[in-house]
Amino acid sequence: MDHFQQTFKQIQSKTFLLVLLENIVIIGGWYLLDSLTGLAPWFIAIIVALAAIGLAVAVSKLAAIISTVPLKALWQLIVHLSPDQQSSVPPNIKGLRVGRELVTNLAGQIYQISSVAEGIASAARKDSIDMHHNFVANNLPLPLLVLDATETVQFANEAAARYIGSPSQDLIGKNVYMVLDMSFPSNDTFDSWLKGAKQNNATATGAWERVRLNVRDNHPTRLFDLASYYNKDNALGAETMLVLFDHTKQYSQDEQAVSFIALSVHELRTPLTLLRGYIEVFEEELADTKDPELASFMQKMNATAQQLMAFVNNILNVARVDADQLQLQLHEENWADVLNEAISNVALRAKVRGINLECTVAPDLPTVGIDRLSIYEVINNLVDNAIKYSGSSEVIKIEAHLTKDNMIETTIQDYGVGISSSVMPNLFTKFYRDHRNRAQIGGTGLGLYLSKAIVTAHGGNLSVSSKEGQGSTFGFTLQPYGALSAEDKAGNKEIVRTAHGWIKNHSMYRR
Amino acid sequence: MPSEPTPLPQTQLGDIPAPQPITAAPATFRRILCIEDEHFIAELYSRALSKAGYEVTVIMDGRQGLAAAQTDKYDILLLDLMVPTLTGIEILRALRDPAQTPHFKAKIIITTNLEQREDVRADIEQQADGYVVKAELTPRELAEFVNNIVTAP
Repeated sequence: MDHFQQTFKQIQSKTFLLVLLENIVIIGGWYLLDSLTGLAPWFIAIIVALAAIGLAVAVSKLAAIISTVPLKALWQLIVHLSPDQQSSVPPNIKGLRVGRELVTNLAGQIYQISSVAEGIASAARKDSIDMHHNFVANNLPLPLLVLDATETVQFANEAAARYIGSPSQDLIGKNVYMVLDMSFPSNDTFDSWLKGAKQNNATATGAWERVRLNVRDNHPTRLFDLASYYNKDNALGAETMLVLFDHTKQYSQDEQAVSFIALSVHELRTPLTLLRGYIEVFEEELADTKDPELASFMQKMNATAQQLMAFVNNILNVARVDADQLQLQLHEENWADVLNEAISNVALRAKVRGINLECTVAPDLPTVGIDRLSIYEVINNLVDNAIKYSGSSEVIKIEAHLTKDNMIETTIQDYGVGISSSVMPNLFTKFYRDHRNRAQIGGTGLGLYLSKAIVTAHGGNLSVSSKEGQGSTFGFTLQPYGALSAEDKAGNKEIVRTAHGWIKNHSMYRR
Repeated sequence: MPSEPTPLPQTQLGDIPAPQPITAAPATFRRILCIEDEHFIAELYSRALSKAGYEVTVIMDGRQGLAAAQTDKYDILLLDLMVPTLTGIEILRALRDPAQTPHFKAKIIITTNLEQREDVRADIEQQADGYVVKAELTPRELAEFVNNIVTAP
């Protein structure tokens, strides 16, 4: 109010001076005209009246200018601050001679109001963007989670809330590992990836398949693929984004298939184990028999049981390969030892078919990194195949050497019927068998499919060369143990793998 | 291909040896407790191990098996993972827990036919002395396996 009084007085004093000046001019003019000229009084009155009208116009204009100066400054200011006229010039308040204090004061208040309004307006704009984001995120049918730098959930969309089975407000503010209890099929997990990304990268993306969500009771287990994006410098503090792609139906069908097959195989293996045990009892009891026919029947019975066991194991492993559940533990092994052990396992089967296995191993091979039982299966299958397709030939040659690329290659060569070049491309396909042999020779066509999967999983390669009527050579390569990456070199150094299981290293047992 | 490959002994027709009784069990480590609920497996293992010179006791129940193992009367424990009343893994953990089983000295060999879950496998690798898949070996080979464990230095 003080400023207003001040302005009032300023305008009053200025108009007072103007009016006073005008009056002096008129009265003075009248007097001068009357005393210096001899004009008639009525003529002087007319002249003075005309001058007074002209002066009144000028003075009133000046007075109006003076009294509206502060108003004009305020108007300029408001126009300047209005959102649509940001380019207009702000008033020069300091140069004001009338109402400077008032205008300054009011300008301050206008600035304040304007900044509040600006805040409201920008908040409204931001809200509309947020609404946009929320709309997108919430209507995204994929579960989406956003984490901050402390791995706390900053945002979870409705799909995520539904998927996890808790309302999204229960998810936000919690540690992601509390919210998402995930099991990964290998050591490559989300948290190890995130740790690495935080240390090494500004941005990173990661993807995982067949992740299992361990949920609390009442909720069915979830299986999904996970994709994640990490960005260290996100302005909103949203460092990591996770998107879940549900595959529960598909993956659980795979798992059920595997567990069904695993159970069936278990049910088959138990009686087979017993059968082999009792056959062994007979072999021992009849060890001294002088009847060569009886002895050979015994061996054939044993070989047949072994063959059945090998086939049953094949079924389980094919199911595992198909469901991507073949897990290998690569250990350092002496290849000559493993190969001889594997061959002695199939020797009986060859022998009862009248076939000799001849094995040559190059000296000084480096140790290999293998999963022993899986590699037994490969050798089993390749030798069984060679036996099956040997025809009337009596020898199968097995040979191991180092290749030029420093891989350990093992070849299994038979001198039987061979394979025609037209069927070679299909050889490693599941259930494929040479149609001309199908009638005479049994088999499911699983063996080569499985062997290839196992060898490939070892980082090796399975190859074949053949000439019809002259036999076939199957070869597979294995990596030297030294060439394996650190994470492929499996586990427990204390444990020594043996032909039939493992024992602790402290007993220093080697077969 | 490196020069001069060394031929290894070749398997000739007829030279697969007829089964011979395996070497006798050592004087110590003779007493075996076999916790196994499959009668025929138990029978086959008992026979093969007895022939190899061991004294074998078979118990077909988990709880009774654990109680027997804790009596300190046995040198070797053959432990099936799927037995009634207590699982093999529970027995293994109880035997390796000094609070439940002080001064346990016997060697534990796990016998199983199914692959184990990751956590169970880690426990077995840490706490057992040996591990066999029953389908992978005959009773005779099991006796050799046990022999090799107990005769090792």
